[in-house]
Amino acid sequence: MMSNAQIEIQLIASLVAIACAIPGTFLVLRKMAMISDAISHSILPGIVVGFFITQDLNSPLLILLAALTGIITVVLVEYIQKTGLVKEDTAIGLVFPILFSIGVIMIAKNANDVHLDIDAVLLGELAFTPFDRFIVSGVDVGPKSLWVIGVILLITIALLVAFFKELKVSTFDAGLAASLGFSPAVIHYGLMTVSSITTVGAFDAVGAILVVALMISPAATAYLLTNNLKRMLVLAICFGVFSAISGYWLAHFLDASIAGSITTMLGLLFLAVYLFAPSKGVIAVIYREKQQRTEVSLLTFLLHLKNHTEERERHVNHLNEHINWQKVRSKTVLDLALKNNMIQFEKNIVSLTEKGDAFTSKAIDYIITNEDAQIEDMKDDFFLFRG
Amino acid sequence: MKKNIAVQVDDLTVAYNYKPVLWDIDLEIPEGVLMAIVGPNGAGKSTLIKSILGILKPIAGSVSIFGKSYEKQRHLVAYVPQKGSVDWDFPTTALDVVTMGTYGSLGWIKRPGQKEKKESLEALEKVGMLAFKNRQISQLSGGQQQRIFLARALVQNASIYFMDEPFQGVDATTEIAIINILKELRKAGKTVVVVHHDLQTVPEYFDWVTFLNVKKIATGPVKDIFNDDNLTKTYGINYKVSIQE
Ligand SMILES: Nc1ncnc2c1ncn2[C@@H]1O[C@H](COP(=O)(O)OP(=O)(O)OP(=O)(O)O)[C@@H](O)[C@H]1O
Ligand SMILES: [Mg+2]
Repeated sequence: MMSNAQIEIQLIASLVAIACAIPGTFLVLRKMAMISDAISHSILPGIVVGFFITQDLNSPLLILLAALTGIITVVLVEYIQKTGLVKEDTAIGLVFPILFSIGVIMIAKNANDVHLDIDAVLLGELAFTPFDRFIVSGVDVGPKSLWVIGVILLITIALLVAFFKELKVSTFDAGLAASLGFSPAVIHYGLMTVSSITTVGAFDAVGAILVVALMISPAATAYLLTNNLKRMLVLAICFGVFSAISGYWLAHFLDASIAGSITTMLGLLFLAVYLFAPSKGVIAVIYREKQQRTEVSLLTFLLHLKNHTEERERHVNHLNEHINWQKVRSKTVLDLALKNNMIQFEKNIVSLTEKGDAFTSKAIDYIITNEDAQIEDMKDDFFLFRG
Repeated sequence: MKKNIAVQVDDLTVAYNYKPVLWDIDLEIPEGVLMAIVGPNGAGKSTLIKSILGILKPIAGSVSIFGKSYEKQRHLVAYVPQKGSVDWDFPTTALDVVTMGTYGSLGWIKRPGQKEKKESLEALEKVGMLAFKNRQISQLSGGQQQRIFLARALVQNASIYFMDEPFQGVDATTEIAIINILKELRKAGKTVVVVHHDLQTVPEYFDWVTFLNVKKIATGPVKDIFNDDNLTKTYGINYKVSIQE
């Protein structure tokens, strides 16, 4: 049986994963992964100042103050970049270490009054989240972190549903969005605000590093699997939640840090998809390239047969020499052609069958006219070979 | 016959990082013309279009569309950006990209429905890309991508079309298909403004032309001003283009 605390931890981790995956998907598509790293570190001074004022890591005021530091980071980065003196990654590298260090110094200087330490900020302490309860008029309604991240998640989902089309068009084509009257700046800063608030809301539970991992990794994994934005969002959310829960149990059995285990799961998941994704995965790409090479070889071979009617040119030995493929390759190609009834043998003389002849004519037609409709047909035919 | 002015640009100056790339441009585009903007790389052609469309804020000058500000008239304007300006690996399909053209008339928050889908399919059909409607956009050839952009502009059902190098990287067949659609738009009374690089085809395709190189060199009917003198002024070297009557 799982204890209440265990369920609560997994629930919090899952909600954080969902809240991160949504802005994360757009950050990845906007090629802004680094900015989430910057935000997650530079909110530290905001958190410290907020903590001086409120004495409560879960106070909404602290979250807003810290999120504001996140926005300031974005503005500073853009300002430095606009001077044209340095590139974006350099600007990011200039801004966030400074803000982060200010936060570190503030904590060090006030170490006695502030119950905050750098480790907790970077790695969070998911395991302790169930102990800080939210009590409403004497009734325990659950861990505070759960409420904080729950509210942030609800707002994020509401914004996503309302502005999905605006986010999509401004991410894909900012120029078009602007000309249609959807200010890309408004959408950009909206997204940055949501990312900042999510980061602040989540850092207490999972820490700055895991926040970045949960924003970027599930989205990057999902990107390899689909060509549809909605599906990418759903997949990113699923991967995030899967890593959160499996990471929790990994930590449980290894007696290791939960945040570290979740990050490890995220990494493993990405690696698996990177290798095995059906169309963009490394193995699929290698396989497809090999297949394409065989297909092109086959086509070359068929064209050669069609071009040369004289028997001398179509003798098996000659084909080996003349087309100059290695033995193995010519064997694969011959087998493939035979299997598909494209060619026939007669005393070591190769010739095209009727089907092979028709196919080759079509191929020539396509090569000469380069018409789109025909390549569609051809693809179906090529597909036959694979079966 | 005195024509309406579709686009009026007054004293427009635009700068990136304080370096002016367009300088004091005055330009009137009459309604119903098919106009080419020509000029060398970096002349500010794309910048001019983006400033007219409010994508860039000028440091001086003003733009009006049929006598009113762009903000009030954006429903009358459609835009085809330069092809390299978007991420073709974005997870979306040809049909979806075309549907984005309908977002302007929908406004904030409202989603596209059956009507928008139907219009988008019609536009795809018009540019001969219906068969590719569910293709991921990175799996389209350059010419096909350009047709998708054109379909997206068509679906905006505008009065003025701005197109930034629609013929970039397309083959002769696609070029003819595109120019025929543009000529049809003109026949329907629309104003079409095209950034164009192939000087040879200017007299054949367009009836109006603007020469631009940071400053406006000339603007007017092709038959009156498309000559070696203006080409030389724009491109800085001696140009010889014989115009067939
Ligand atoms: N975002 C930018 N930041 C800084 N300078 C820019 C930016 N965009 C364009 N420029 C500069 O402004 C000038 C005009 O650019 P623009 O893109 O308008 O030229 P163009 O006429 O469209 O050229 P092309 O024929 O190559 O498309 C160029 O010198 C260019 O380097
Ligand atoms: Mg340009």
